[in-house]
Amino acid sequence: MTNEMTNIVVEVLPRFEGYVYPNEASLHPLWGFLIVLYPYITGLVAGAFIMASLVRVFKVRALEPVYRLSLLTSFSFLLCATLPLLFHLGHPERCFEIMMTPHLTSPMAIFGFVYAWYLMAVLLLELWFDYRQDLVEWAKITPGFKGIIYRAFTVGVTDESHEALALDAKMGRILSVVGIPSAFLLHGYVGFIFGSIKANPWWGNGLTPIIFILSAIVSGIALCVFNYMVLTWIRRHTVDMRCLDTMAMFLFYALVVDAAVEGLDWLHRGFAAEEGFSVMQIMIREKLFYTLNLGQVTIGTLLPLLLLGALQLLRRRVPELVRRRMIFGSSAMILIGVLAMRWNVVIGGQLFSKSLRGVMGYKLEFTGVEGWLMGVVLLSLPFIILTVLVKLFLSEQLPSGGHTPRDSAAGEG
Amino acid sequence: MKTQFSRRGALSRLGGAIAGLLTLSAARAAKAAVQKVFVASGAPKDYDPTKHKWLMCIDVNRCIGCGLCVEACKKENGVPEGPYFRTWIERYVIPKPEPGSGQTRGETLVDSPNGGMHGFPPTPVPKDQIEHSFFVPKLCNLCEHSPCVQVCPVGATFDAPDGAVLIDPKYCIGCGFCIQACPYGCRFLSPVTKTAEKCTLCYHRITRGLKPACVEICPTQARIFGDLKNAGPDDPVRKFYENNRVSVLKPHLGTEPRVLYAGLDKEVR
Amino acid sequence: MRRFNLPPQILRLVLLTLAIVGSYLIARVFLTPASFGEFGWYRGEALVELRSRPPVYAGKQACDECHSDQLQKLAKFEHQTLSCEACHGVSREHAENPDILPVKLTGSHCIRCHEANPSRPKWFKQIVVRDHYGGKCTECHVPHQPNQTP
Repeated sequence: MTNEMTNIVVEVLPRFEGYVYPNEASLHPLWGFLIVLYPYITGLVAGAFIMASLVRVFKVRALEPVYRLSLLTSFSFLLCATLPLLFHLGHPERCFEIMMTPHLTSPMAIFGFVYAWYLMAVLLLELWFDYRQDLVEWAKITPGFKGIIYRAFTVGVTDESHEALALDAKMGRILSVVGIPSAFLLHGYVGFIFGSIKANPWWGNGLTPIIFILSAIVSGIALCVFNYMVLTWIRRHTVDMRCLDTMAMFLFYALVVDAAVEGLDWLHRGFAAEEGFSVMQIMIREKLFYTLNLGQVTIGTLLPLLLLGALQLLRRRVPELVRRRMIFGSSAMILIGVLAMRWNVVIGGQLFSKSLRGVMGYKLEFTGVEGWLMGVVLLSLPFIILTVLVKLFLSEQLPSGGHTPRDSAAGEG
Repeated sequence: MKTQFSRRGALSRLGGAIAGLLTLSAARAAKAAVQKVFVASGAPKDYDPTKHKWLMCIDVNRCIGCGLCVEACKKENGVPEGPYFRTWIERYVIPKPEPGSGQTRGETLVDSPNGGMHGFPPTPVPKDQIEHSFFVPKLCNLCEHSPCVQVCPVGATFDAPDGAVLIDPKYCIGCGFCIQACPYGCRFLSPVTKTAEKCTLCYHRITRGLKPACVEICPTQARIFGDLKNAGPDDPVRKFYENNRVSVLKPHLGTEPRVLYAGLDKEVR
Repeated sequence: MRRFNLPPQILRLVLLTLAIVGSYLIARVFLTPASFGEFGWYRGEALVELRSRPPVYAGKQACDECHSDQLQKLAKFEHQTLSCEACHGVSREHAENPDILPVKLTGSHCIRCHEANPSRPKWFKQIVVRDHYGGKCTECHVPHQPNQTP
């Protein structure tokens, strides 16, 4: 495809090369930074929940210190998940239509229900069953507004008998098991939104939902590592190295699987070289060069694989401080890398024309609904909410049954 | 330990829920009565969508690239200025191959300056180096299995019983999923209404017995429009599909586009 | 209520669930448009609304009402496939009130279609305007009967 002829669609637009459909010749892609953020946030939600379920369902005792933090992380990000969508809609005041007349052939129609299910039936319930006994105790000893909050969250159920606590533990386990497919659905449907679009060869692919879920798990675990280390640093505690090392192990193996499946996607594209392959190659080389090669591949995958892999091999020989730095650095890099991956998928799919003859460029603006600033605000909001939640529910002043999730075998009132 | 849970509290809550459910039928009736008052009027009332099946066909051999159709569409439907087109013309210029290269043709050049609305500038390749060149009008392909309708999360875009694919501008939430799902690039998000927009086959014209604006204005009858359910033997659409070997755009995607093209080339996407 | 032998957590949660689901179902009744589902998964009213937009172009039939003599002459010659408004522009107002005149035509109307262009089909009559008497078309051509001289 030569670039001799610029597409004079509206004035002379140097950002286009080759031919794009006239309707594609807009200044910025239809799905912009907000739609990059939405899968990122729901991915973090799902991944953090998977981290928590490792404790309950897979009984990885070493991760208990981070159990409640993972659930609270998942919750605080979930509360912000709808915001990018609401801001992106042309008519946000009509958003309720998606729950009133959901068109069942559309993957997007499932959003309201999956979100409501995951929020209420999975996350809030699991938090409630885990925290209920503590909430009852805290409600008794905390005065003022905070005490009212604790009492409200008990929903009036203050039974602390042995049977009630055993039920709490059992329900928590059931919910964790139910929660894993629910978390997959919450984020998987987003991957399927892209994967179902056969009109776009960058997106419409059976591997897309799987890659989304795997990178979600990786980003969620990385976020829990990040939050755990930041929290212990703020509180001037010592990090539980057994917990951290276990998290790093899971992070490494999750990253290996994710990198393998993403690599498979690349391999298949290159091997099959279907019709859109040449235009997509040009798009990758010219428009996604930094976000892909630097952001997603190097920072997001290769460097963490090296660091975390080295730790798996050499764990005992690496001093604790260096290990902490390596793990923290890896998780931060992974968080950046997964955001870059979301960018590459969402924006990348719109940087080449469906005519398969042209590519477009996109420069993110600073202000505006789809700008940098909004992105920073939307990504900071969950952390602000998490701070409030940590102050309320992971308070050091209040006694708790420890970070130990109650188990019917070992549970004690 | 005695629970703070009371029988009275539970009963009253349950009663409330049941009362709510019982008012459903009364509420539904009241709502219907209220909404009847606001039913839109002023449209031709004797039009039965189930009795028609509209189709547009394109004869590429007849298009001269004047762009009158693009202009007419914008005027007829109030399409916003800028890169928003319900229909547009593409020009394909296929140069001759490099001598000795062993190819049958050179690299195809495609353009659509402002959708072709004001005609086209001179070809970028001189006439003696052109092997083939032609214009292709594009519009909504009226797919049998529209991917756009499939992905609308609320039911704002739909297949009308008479073959048109329409958008309900009062119901569309502006998510843009349909625009991403259309393989033919015929949809856009209107900057004015913030809803999706596309060719409606000039629904407001065809339901009054008029032709779509682009068909009306086309000087060479490159666009052929008709009603498949009421097509006599002399009907132009019938003559088109009976006398021409036709093709469609992107058949491999399984959308079953109904818009038929005569005279396409392998380079057309 | 121990009568049901349900633990207190479960009972509260069941009631909460009923309340939430109940309010959703009630909201759905009020917030779903009346004509939804009439023909398919959409507002049936939308078909009526989309039909009621007033047309902009009058259409060739409308011109025939008053200018049938012109149209009869046009129908005999090469420009028979043209609609009046292709050259004369939107004439709806004129159709409703003949005192409002349609746009005055210039030679640019002819050039738009007839300027020679290698992309135009071979059967179509095209001229290189520069070499073809410089665009004063009506000196030699009658627009409605293009091969006749005025």
